[in-house]
Amino acid sequence: MRLTRNDKGPLIAFMAPALIMMLLFFVIPVIYVVVVSFFKWNGITDPEFRGIRNFALLFKDKAFLRSVLNNIIWALVAGFIQVPIAMVMAIILSRKPKGWKFFRTVYFLPQVISGIALAMLWRAIYNANTGLLNGLLKLFGRGDLARDWLGTIETAFPAVLIYWVFYIGYYMVIMMADITTIDESYYEAATIDGATDFQQAIHITIPLIRKTSLATCVTLASVMGLRQFEQVYMLTNGQPANTTSTIVLYMYKKLQEPNYGMASASAVILIVVGIIFIVSLRLLFNGRQENRQVKKRKGA
Amino acid sequence: MKKFLALILALAMIFALAACGQSAAAPAAQEAAPAAQEAAPAEAAKEITINFPCIWVGTDSKAAYFAEMVDSFNKENEGQIKVVIEEQTDYQAYRDKIRTLVTAGEVPDICTMDTAADVELYTASGKFMDFTPYLDEGWRDTFATGTFDSYTYDGVTAVIPFESAIFPIVYNVEILKEAGWETFPANWDEMFEMFDDIKAAGYNAVGQMAGENAWTSMLWYSALVQAIGGKEAFENGLSDPAFVEAADVLKRMYEYTFDGAISAGAGDVNGHWIAQDTALYLNGPWWIGNLYKEDNAKDGVLLADVCDVAANPEWVGGKGQGGLVTKVQSFILAAKQDDPAKEAAVVKFLQYITDPDRMQVWSASAGSMFFVNYEPSEDTTVIAQKFAEIKKDAAFTVLAVDANFGPAYESAFPAAVSALVLGQVDAQGFVDQLQTAIDNAA
Amino acid sequence: MNTNKVHAKLTGKELFLQIIRWILIVFFTVYALFPLFWLFMSSLKTNGEFLAGNPFSLPKVPQWQNYTNALTVAGLGRMLLNSVFVGIAATLFNVLVASLSAYCMSRFRFRGRDNYYTLFTTGILIPLNALMVPYFVIINRLGLYNTYGGLILLYSAIGIPMSTFLIKGLMDSIPMEIEEAAYIDGAGFMGRFFHVILPLSRTGIVTAATFEFLTCWNEFVFANLIVSSEKLRTIQVGIRYFTNQFSTDYVSMYAAIVVSIVPSILGYIIFQEQVISGMTSGAVKG
Repeated sequence: MRLTRNDKGPLIAFMAPALIMMLLFFVIPVIYVVVVSFFKWNGITDPEFRGIRNFALLFKDKAFLRSVLNNIIWALVAGFIQVPIAMVMAIILSRKPKGWKFFRTVYFLPQVISGIALAMLWRAIYNANTGLLNGLLKLFGRGDLARDWLGTIETAFPAVLIYWVFYIGYYMVIMMADITTIDESYYEAATIDGATDFQQAIHITIPLIRKTSLATCVTLASVMGLRQFEQVYMLTNGQPANTTSTIVLYMYKKLQEPNYGMASASAVILIVVGIIFIVSLRLLFNGRQENRQVKKRKGA
Repeated sequence: MKKFLALILALAMIFALAACGQSAAAPAAQEAAPAAQEAAPAEAAKEITINFPCIWVGTDSKAAYFAEMVDSFNKENEGQIKVVIEEQTDYQAYRDKIRTLVTAGEVPDICTMDTAADVELYTASGKFMDFTPYLDEGWRDTFATGTFDSYTYDGVTAVIPFESAIFPIVYNVEILKEAGWETFPANWDEMFEMFDDIKAAGYNAVGQMAGENAWTSMLWYSALVQAIGGKEAFENGLSDPAFVEAADVLKRMYEYTFDGAISAGAGDVNGHWIAQDTALYLNGPWWIGNLYKEDNAKDGVLLADVCDVAANPEWVGGKGQGGLVTKVQSFILAAKQDDPAKEAAVVKFLQYITDPDRMQVWSASAGSMFFVNYEPSEDTTVIAQKFAEIKKDAAFTVLAVDANFGPAYESAFPAAVSALVLGQVDAQGFVDQLQTAIDNAA
Repeated sequence: MNTNKVHAKLTGKELFLQIIRWILIVFFTVYALFPLFWLFMSSLKTNGEFLAGNPFSLPKVPQWQNYTNALTVAGLGRMLLNSVFVGIAATLFNVLVASLSAYCMSRFRFRGRDNYYTLFTTGILIPLNALMVPYFVIINRLGLYNTYGGLILLYSAIGIPMSTFLIKGLMDSIPMEIEEAAYIDGAGFMGRFFHVILPLSRTGIVTAATFEFLTCWNEFVFANLIVSSEKLRTIQVGIRYFTNQFSTDYVSMYAAIVVSIVPSILGYIIFQEQVISGMTSGAVKG
């Protein structure tokens, strides 16, 4: 929409509170982090300028490189596996099968539970002795596959990643909210034409949420994947041999040392990787912002 | 630090004030006490408030008696001194908070920490009170001889080593009997013979864990280095060959632990020990209380009734006979005070709680060990008495490896252990990995 | 409405899709409910049973005193109230500020808009652990250390990027025509926001509010960092009451977790019913 001269005042007033809060709680602290990333600093005695040595050390550290790789995998899996699953369930539930309200609430419940409980449960499921997973394998005669899932190099990271992919409540709720705003007449017309629910989903629902809530969810999920910390911290603490580590976990360990310089440097790298992700995803979904508004208008 | 932090903070303040004015960020009811560092209210100007974010609260075994002491201290000094305890239960969060407060220049009046390797750093920062004059007035004599020796730098003693821990081996007598061992092995060769017998009898010999902070593996590794290389290995640092040799033995011990030890945490090790399927247990004196809990009994058999305690066996040809692994579980620190009255008040409180008579009661009620000298109470449990005997008989003590080498080592340890046991690195590679972590932090 | 169509006869393909659909629905239901069930069962065990026994067995004798423990010893009542108060205040403030800026960025073109939007989106990925020192300093300098105000300001601020992102995402899907019609009718900037856009973006705002409230409810690091008085402690601090330097009383902690999630589940259900369900009539997409 065009901005008229009268709108300028309200516009500034509307943007100001959010921008001030962003400045105070994000921009300034991040500048601080960037500055610290060039220093050797324990937070107690005086810092010492170190140039880019912190970054050089990071790129020499296999544990850090593994963390970056894990986060990239995590972000991709979240964006392109977890969100599509959530979308399927959002489409199914928005067709309002029997008890859909109950299911919508239930799917969201794991997000309400404190992360500690979820991590403890999955530790128990993956446990080598008493774990549910090994128990099921034995039940189906594949006891040979039983193992210490979180303590084996090959399986630890997939195990941490996979259980979490199926907690879809967050993204499902966002997409359902969007789907409910689609005009009912589209579906009615399609039904008259004999289109099945499946065809309606492909031809009506997905195209209509692709640039809105689907894009929102993919971006959000990827970003959440990049800053993954709590679950890994409590499930494996990054082990075995750092194979499940993530950037934020790595950073947290550096804070403990206390090595603020390297902790800040890893935060800076996370931000850079994140910006690359966000920009790529925006290009993927939108092309340019302008085009999108025009298309929307035509569709209406 | 001052230069760039000051600049950023100045910016922050400008925008903060702007934010307050414009964004209607009206804080809701500010009913609570003012920030700890602010001066006491004007009308009670004489009363000194001492702020102590403290971990001896909640379910900590030291909590009950500590609360009693704080109450009675506040009552005795009513109108003059008030000690305000800030309850901190999550230990990791407590570490984070203290570290953040110190970095931000808002050191609490009293706090505790547990990393011996940081003591030099904290002392050098000049942000903490030097206890030397007070210690010289006789306070020092109430502590075990030599308590402050390793923690005094350039004549400044800014920490009080407070709670100590020792790590003798606790073992399940019944399991040993079943495996054919009436007496505890005298050396590590026999230990491994016994491990074979225990394994053959269908039990786990030890509880190892490489998950979380790899706590029990860290303790076993410390015990091995101590047995092989003696005190000098800890002084020489990681270049001492004992560290490589001990790593090989640690890896071997993983053959005698339960399945899934690589991903195991403290809960798993304790669970197996409580289930009485593991013969040996290595942990600090705070665990003694759990041996007597009905909750942890198996088929009505209290753990304490089937347990005995042994010192670390000798390593044949090693240098560490009679040694004992210890840790300092907490150091007390106090902020440097400008006001001499407040400094005196802080010291008064610390001397109050470290008074030998109170320590006797405290130790008995909590099952903890302290650096202050006190007569053991008659209420002490049998196991606790055995711990005390081992401590008394020790020829020398060393700090557990994590405490000895500091937080960078501590955080790199679990990864190194799992890599070692899973064959990703050999013993030398294990030691190198830890050395690199220390070097990067330096 | 999208009511499930009931056909007299289902074709084979439709039947197959129906079966797949219900398999999925049931799978995710079990997957989502199992943690709650396990948590509740574990909260009724003794610590010995929990640690040494099979983690998936039922409690031998339900230990209801774990709940008494959680409620009385840890003093969860006051903490729950604090969490509710802080959570609601921070959420209201947060979604207000976020929807104002989302409106501007979604509906208008102005200089630097895309840069601002990138700034907000990037904010979502900032690892807040790295910001403990600056956040403490800012809150302390504002004189908000150990106040409700400090928690509320910090919580609403850290949720701004996420809320703006979500609300703007939904506002983007509202067709320009609706607003333009209002513009032609003479509605001003404020009028269009309050009377046209705000009501139409309710679902987005409610979603953002839900997430913001849960962020507040589950936040622990800063709740511990910028508050020192027991009177102001929030529920996550209470959950950790049963841990100490050396050990954790798992079962009481689980009881505390159960106590802590009951209000948020109830709140969520009521919120869903009252707010989301009542607003689906206004279809705007197409």
